[in-house]
Amino acid sequence: MKASVAELAQLPGVWRGGELEHAAQPVVATGHEALDRELPGGGWPTGTLSEVLHDAAGIGEVSFLAGALMRASADDRLIAWIDPPHLPYAPALAAAGIALPRCLVVRPAHRDDSLWAAEQALRSGACGALLLWLPCDEYAWLRRLQMAAEAGRAMAVLFRSTAAEKLSTPAHLRVALTREEGELHVRIPKRRGPPLATPIRLAIGRSLRGNNPEEIHSAPPTVLAERPRAIA
Amino acid sequence: MLWIALELPSLPLQIAQRAGASREPLVISEGPEQRPVVVCANEAALAAGVHEGQAVAAAKALAADLRVLPRDPASEKEALQRLAAWASQFTPMSCVDGQGIAMEVESTLRIFEGHAKLSSVVRRGVRELGFQAAIGVAPTPMAARLIARAQARGLQVRSALDLAGLRERIGDLPLFLLDWPAETLAHLTDLGVLRLRDMLDLPIEGVTRRFGQKIAIDLGRLMGSFADPREPYAPPPRFRSRLELPAEADGVEALAFPLRRMLAEMEGALRGRGAGVQQLTLWLEHGRRKSTRVNLEFASPEREADFILSIAREKLGRLTLSAATVALSLHAEALLAYVPRESTWLPGAREQAIGRQRLIERLCARLGPDRVFGIAIGDDHRPEHGAKTVPGRLFGSEKSLPGTVLRPTWLLNRPRKLVTQDTFALIAGPERIESGWWDGLEVRRDYYVAANARGETYWIFREHRGDQGWYLHGVFA
Repeated sequence: MKASVAELAQLPGVWRGGELEHAAQPVVATGHEALDRELPGGGWPTGTLSEVLHDAAGIGEVSFLAGALMRASADDRLIAWIDPPHLPYAPALAAAGIALPRCLVVRPAHRDDSLWAAEQALRSGACGALLLWLPCDEYAWLRRLQMAAEAGRAMAVLFRSTAAEKLSTPAHLRVALTREEGELHVRIPKRRGPPLATPIRLAIGRSLRGNNPEEIHSAPPTVLAERPRAIA
Repeated sequence: MLWIALELPSLPLQIAQRAGASREPLVISEGPEQRPVVVCANEAALAAGVHEGQAVAAAKALAADLRVLPRDPASEKEALQRLAAWASQFTPMSCVDGQGIAMEVESTLRIFEGHAKLSSVVRRGVRELGFQAAIGVAPTPMAARLIARAQARGLQVRSALDLAGLRERIGDLPLFLLDWPAETLAHLTDLGVLRLRDMLDLPIEGVTRRFGQKIAIDLGRLMGSFADPREPYAPPPRFRSRLELPAEADGVEALAFPLRRMLAEMEGALRGRGAGVQQLTLWLEHGRRKSTRVNLEFASPEREADFILSIAREKLGRLTLSAATVALSLHAEALLAYVPRESTWLPGAREQAIGRQRLIERLCARLGPDRVFGIAIGDDHRPEHGAKTVPGRLFGSEKSLPGTVLRPTWLLNRPRKLVTQDTFALIAGPERIESGWWDGLEVRRDYYVAANARGETYWIFREHRGDQGWYLHGVFA
C-alpha cells in the first residue's frame, strides 16, 4: 500500500477537498456559463436531490433553472411541479421553451401527500425533473427523496428558505439566491467540492427566457411617484 | 391431445379459507339436518382428532370451539367456473370437470415450453389464488382426472404423455377412483377386480353385457379408444367475485391479501379473453351496515393484478370505515379489449408514456383528480384566461407560442389588492390589456413589471374600471 496521494486522486469517486469533483455525474447545463463553470461536472446534477435556498419570492428563483428544466425533460420526460406557491403560468413556461404537454402540476392538500407524491413521481422514472416546494426539515424524508431521485434518474429540486442552510442535507448541491442591483447572486454553500463563498452574478431578467431588452416595452425605469396606498 | 386435470379434494374448505386460513378448528358439514357429517376439516380440526365422515356432533365433542359451515354446492360451482375462466389464459379449452377443472393443452404447449413448465405455472397460479389442487397430466381427460385424484389421495402416479404409455402408468390405480356406481364397484370387488389393469384385461363384450354400456364407454374414453369431447366453459362477459373474510377485518390493511387473490383470478380470466377492465367496483361488506363502495377507474384497460392492487391500496388507504369488513366483492361489468404491453430492455417512448399514465393514475387515486393537472395556454388576452388546467391528465398537444410579451412565472389565482409600504420601481410597462366586453368579465388594465428594494419582481396592474386601484397579479419567480 504505497499509493501516493496523486494516484489515489485518480481513482473514480475520489476527489480532493479543494477541487470540484470531475467524476462523470449526469448533469444538465443550466445555460448560464458562469454558473455551469462552478458546478461539479459542468451542470446542474440530475439523478439526485438539490436545494435552492431563497427568502425573497420573485427574484428569478425558478427562471434561472429554465434551461436545465428544458434539457432535463428533453427525452420526453415529465416536469413535475409539486405544490408550487402559485399556479405556474402556461404562457410564461411556453415562452421559456418548456414543453407544456410535459408539465404536471400536483397540489396535494397535506404535507404528507406532497412528500408521497414527490417520491412516487421520482421513483416512477417518468419524470425528468421535479420541483418541490415544501417546508420539510426532516433529514429522513430528504434522504428518501434523494434515494427516489437516484432511482428515477430525475433532477429533483427542493425550494427552501435560507434558514435551512444551517441544517444538514443529503442533497448533493445547495445554492442560495439573492437579488441585488438587478442581478441574481448565486452562492453555493454545498457542492461536491469546496463551498463557493463569493457569489456568481447572473444577469437574469424578469422573464423565464432571460434578459432580452427588446422584450420589455419601452418604459424607462421610474420610481412610482404615487406609492400604491395601503388599502385594506 | 394432452389434458391437464386439476382436482380440488377439499374445495368446500378451501373456499371458506381463501381469504386467510383460520387457526380455529373448522369443518364443512353435509348431509341430513338431523345427522350432518364432516366432509372436510382443516388442520386444527384434524389435530383435535376430527376426521372426515364423522358426525358433526362427535366432532364438536372433540373440539369445543369447532366452527361448522354447511356445504354450499352453488358457491363451489361458481368457484370452479371462475377457476375454469382463470385457466382460459392457458388454453381455449378449459372446463369444469368433476371436483376440479380440465384443460386441453396440446395446442398451447409450445407457448408454455412443455408440459412440465406449464404444470408448474398452473400449480403456482392456483396456489396464488388460494387453492390447493392435485394435478394430473394424461392424453385423455378421464385419465388426467384419474391421475389427479390418485395424487390427491397421496398415491404416486407419474403423468402419462401418450396413449401408448397410458396403460402402464395408470394400470395399478384402484377402480374406486372412477365415478362408477357403488354397486358396480362392489360387484367388481366380489369378482376380485380391484385395479384398472384387471378391468382392462377383461373381454370388452363381457364387460358390456355384465355392467352395461356406460362402463364400457367409460373404459374406452379412459384409454383413448373413444372420443371424449368436452364443451369449453364460456364465462359471462363480465367478472364478479365475492370473498368472505375468515374473521372481521377492522382496518383496510387486512383486505389487501384477499383482494390480491381476487385480482389474480380476474387477471387470469381477462387474459383468457384478451380483455382488460377500465372500471372496477369493489364493495366492502360490513354485515348489517351498508356496504362501502370503492370505484377504481383507469385511463386504459388494465388487468395486471399488482398494478390494480397498488391503485386499490391508495384508494383504500383514504377510507375510514364505519364498521368491520366481513366480505369483499369485486364487479367488473364491461370487459374491454386489452392491448398487451411488452416490457423492453430499453424503454422507448411508448413505454414511457405508459409509465407516465400510471404515475398520473396513481397520483389521482390518492389525491383526487382535481389536485393533479396539466397546464395549457388559453385563447384569450385576459391573463386569468390565458392559461387553463386540464385535471387528471396532461395537456395534449403543443400549441403555437404566444408573442414575446413578458409574462410572470406564477399567476395568482385572482388579483390581490396591493397592500404594501414598499416602494416599487416600475421596470416595464404599461401594457394595456383591454378585453372581454362580450362576456361580462371585461378588464381594462395597465400592466407593469415592478420590483421592490429586495429585487422581488411582480406583475402588477392598475385597474381602469371600478376603484382604479393597484393589484398584484403575478410573480416573476
